Amino acid sequence: MYRKFVNARSPMRLLEKGLHGGLGLGNVGALIAGHGVGKTPFLVGVGMDELLRGGTVLHVALDQTVSHVKDFYDTVFTEFVTHTHLENAQRTQIEIDHRRRIRIYPARSFNVDRLSEAVQLETETGARPTVILLDGLEASGVDPETLKGIQELSVGLAAETWFTIQAENERIEGLPAPWASLWEHLHVILALEPEGDVVHFRALKDHDNPDLQALHVGLDPRTLLLVRS
Amino acid sequence: MQQQNDISKLRNIGISAHIDSGKTTLTERILYYTGRIHAIHEVRGKDEVGATMDSMELERERGITIASAATHCVWGENHINIIDTPGHVDFTIEVERALRVLDGAVLILCGVAGVQSQSMTVDRQMKRYRVPRIAFINKLDRSGADPVKVTTQLREKLGHNAVLIQLPIGLEAEHEGVVDLVTMKAIYFEGASGDEPVEREIPADMQDAAATAREEMLDAVSMFSDELMEAILEENVTEEMIHEAIRAGTLSMDLTPVFLGSAYKNKGVQPLLDAVTRYLPSPTDVKNMAVDLANDEAELEVVSDPEKPMVSLAFKLEDTRYGQLTYLRVYQGTIGKGDTIFNSRTKKKVKVGRLIRMHADEMEDIERSTVGDIVALFGVDCASGDTFTDGKSDVAMSSMHVPEAVISLSITPKDQKAADNMGKALGRFVREDPTFRAAVDPESNETVISGMGELHLEVYVERMKREYSCEVETGQPQVAYRETVTRKVDFNYTHKKQSGGSGQYGRVAGFVEPILEAEEGPQDFQFVSQIRGGSIPTEYIPAVEKGFRECLPKGRLIGFPVQGLKITINDGQSHSVDSSEMAFSAAARGAFRKFYPEAKPQILEPIMKLEVEGPSEFQGAILKTIMQRRGQVIGSTEEDGFSRVESEVPLSEMFGYATDLRSMTQGKAEFSMEFAKYAPAPAEVQKELKEKYKSKIPDEEE
Repeated sequence: MYRKFVNARSPMRLLEKGLHGGLGLGNVGALIAGHGVGKTPFLVGVGMDELLRGGTVLHVALDQTVSHVKDFYDTVFTEFVTHTHLENAQRTQIEIDHRRRIRIYPARSFNVDRLSEAVQLETETGARPTVILLDGLEASGVDPETLKGIQELSVGLAAETWFTIQAENERIEGLPAPWASLWEHLHVILALEPEGDVVHFRALKDHDNPDLQALHVGLDPRTLLLVRS
Repeated sequence: MQQQNDISKLRNIGISAHIDSGKTTLTERILYYTGRIHAIHEVRGKDEVGATMDSMELERERGITIASAATHCVWGENHINIIDTPGHVDFTIEVERALRVLDGAVLILCGVAGVQSQSMTVDRQMKRYRVPRIAFINKLDRSGADPVKVTTQLREKLGHNAVLIQLPIGLEAEHEGVVDLVTMKAIYFEGASGDEPVEREIPADMQDAAATAREEMLDAVSMFSDELMEAILEENVTEEMIHEAIRAGTLSMDLTPVFLGSAYKNKGVQPLLDAVTRYLPSPTDVKNMAVDLANDEAELEVVSDPEKPMVSLAFKLEDTRYGQLTYLRVYQGTIGKGDTIFNSRTKKKVKVGRLIRMHADEMEDIERSTVGDIVALFGVDCASGDTFTDGKSDVAMSSMHVPEAVISLSITPKDQKAADNMGKALGRFVREDPTFRAAVDPESNETVISGMGELHLEVYVERMKREYSCEVETGQPQVAYRETVTRKVDFNYTHKKQSGGSGQYGRVAGFVEPILEAEEGPQDFQFVSQIRGGSIPTEYIPAVEKGFRECLPKGRLIGFPVQGLKITINDGQSHSVDSSEMAFSAAARGAFRKFYPEAKPQILEPIMKLEVEGPSEFQGAILKTIMQRRGQVIGSTEEDGFSRVESEVPLSEMFGYATDLRSMTQGKAEFSMEFAKYAPAPAEVQKELKEKYKSKIPDEEE
């Protein structure tokens, strides 16, 4: 299948539709999920979609290794090619890998200043991010002040920023207590919950829209791909 | 030197680390303290003698160890064979070979720089060969030394379960000795060269820290001994129990005990030697596999038993003024002076004239060597990697992983004397180092050497000059490109010749397609015959395959080998009189010529995995050096003011990188590089290469 058809049929389009147009440039969204439910695959899925549409992704992971994150992308891409029969897969992978940057920090030393420096460096070297993904951010502590800093960066870049929050339980009731104060600062909040063979996304907050819609998007735990559900 | 008989008291160890971590300095101390040498010479020392293990003149001059030098020493009742391995990534075949024949290793880390990129490469290699290791954090006398940080890096960056077995007494200029957390004694190193380790009580201001550290150590090592765990609860822990638990954890590679010191300041070396003999495996602790040549290469274990038939592996060759010196590791049985041994590859008999135990570039004649030992033979004609037996068994030690060469260089001797010596030099280097190759290009008639990187080839060119008085002029380094096809096409080709005498006739039909690496793994070539009903007689099908294979070494785009294609034949035709193997081979070659341009061939270039490490303030400069070289930045890791950038860069862009990086980062960044994969070259590069090739060969070949 050709890339433009793959992009048009991506489950991310469905997610965007359910969110009345998606996260939006300059905005910050959070995904809440229990341990091992699929936070990183979600971020990789968002990243992959952006890369396939020609964007540039900065994937920041705390307390990980570059090879671990890269392997995640490689695995998801291989599954993606198998499922979509993407044309020119090898060339596509080389091309999208050029627009993806992975940055690793120890959680103890990560803060908005580090992120800001990273964004500046990447911009100077031709990889100005259009999507920023922050994996494991909660380990470094997220307070409204940090979130404000991240948001300012996103606005400056006109980029979308997603990060993940780990919940105690699989069933998500709302923002876990330590992060409750972030509610009003986040534009979109999603929950990811297992149900049968698939894990489903559910919108907890969609900008200022009072009518939260069903998203009809899930994550296949076997392939780690975003799927229509 | 006494003959060692108890195999359990033998240790074959490697000393591996990042360049400049002090491994040659450490080895020098080991040799001194074990009585093998009687004075210490520094690497790049003022006495102009150089360290004992740096036996080649070039190594002494550059201050780095290039070829492994094997040496033997005795510590207490234990015999230790040490292979000093090179630290630069261009010489990793030496590291790999050493790991193949060794049972354990000491991983040296710089107390200031910690885990660096080369430490990671070496560690990956150790994991591949399942070599248990202990760590030695060196250079604690240097400004900024922090063994706790380095131990944390061992855990976080290399994934080791690293446990401090010692604490430092003072750091930097105040580094005096170590606290042994097993005996709970302070050890100081007295005498002019630290020859006398002296045990004293732990300094009062360190007692609390030592008690806490011991508790942490016991907690970690008790995981490997139920006896120790019980003893901790009952508060009757003995030193022996702790040693046994550490040994069990080390042998299973689930624990890396960490030792401390400063080899340069003669501190911490003797306790490290104790640790080598206590915790690293003897040959009897390690399982070694061979292949049974008499039984379809079935895998079989070689047992560390001196009574069994002899099996040994030639893992290193050196040309000395007395002839070829072959380093052997004896895996099974014994080998003695005067024995007749068999080379499993050549099936030739060889008589053992002299049996040598090596000490860097000095040697000691011995009568017999037993299982587990590392010795050297004189005057035996063989290649590196050959297996020797006593003729009672037909086995070969499993082959070592030898990477493909990625770079080549044409060399021309400057005068007749050089021309006379060049063949001799190349012959030796090729036998010694499987990653180094030499061949004559039939078109240009030039001698072309190839290897694993720019420095790798530079060193051999330099060695030719110094050791063989063979000065050569070198051409531009050439990258080892490949060609491949990108689409499936059908072919149907008839080879027909009738020009007097018997004719030639053969028709082959089928299709060619790229091998999808994701589905079938990396493969160079596949040939499939779907011929049914004898359209091509069975006896001619191997000739068809042969014809296709003959086309692979030289692609028609730029003359480099073709890889990654699958050819399927499904039809053809023969003639009862005019068909022959020759005719069908010619038909296959003709078909290849015809379908190749239609199958959209493309040029693949070698891509190197490049890791650059330096202070964070130079990260922008480092990224720029990569971007300027068509590099793809994969990611970067920032920690404690240091950044490590991982990237993939085409080899063709890497010439002169060391100089550029140095100037862009004030010499504060360093890099390591290894082959990663072949990938399609960008269109403009392909165009340039094709034009260059066409200008060299104006007429299209047959």
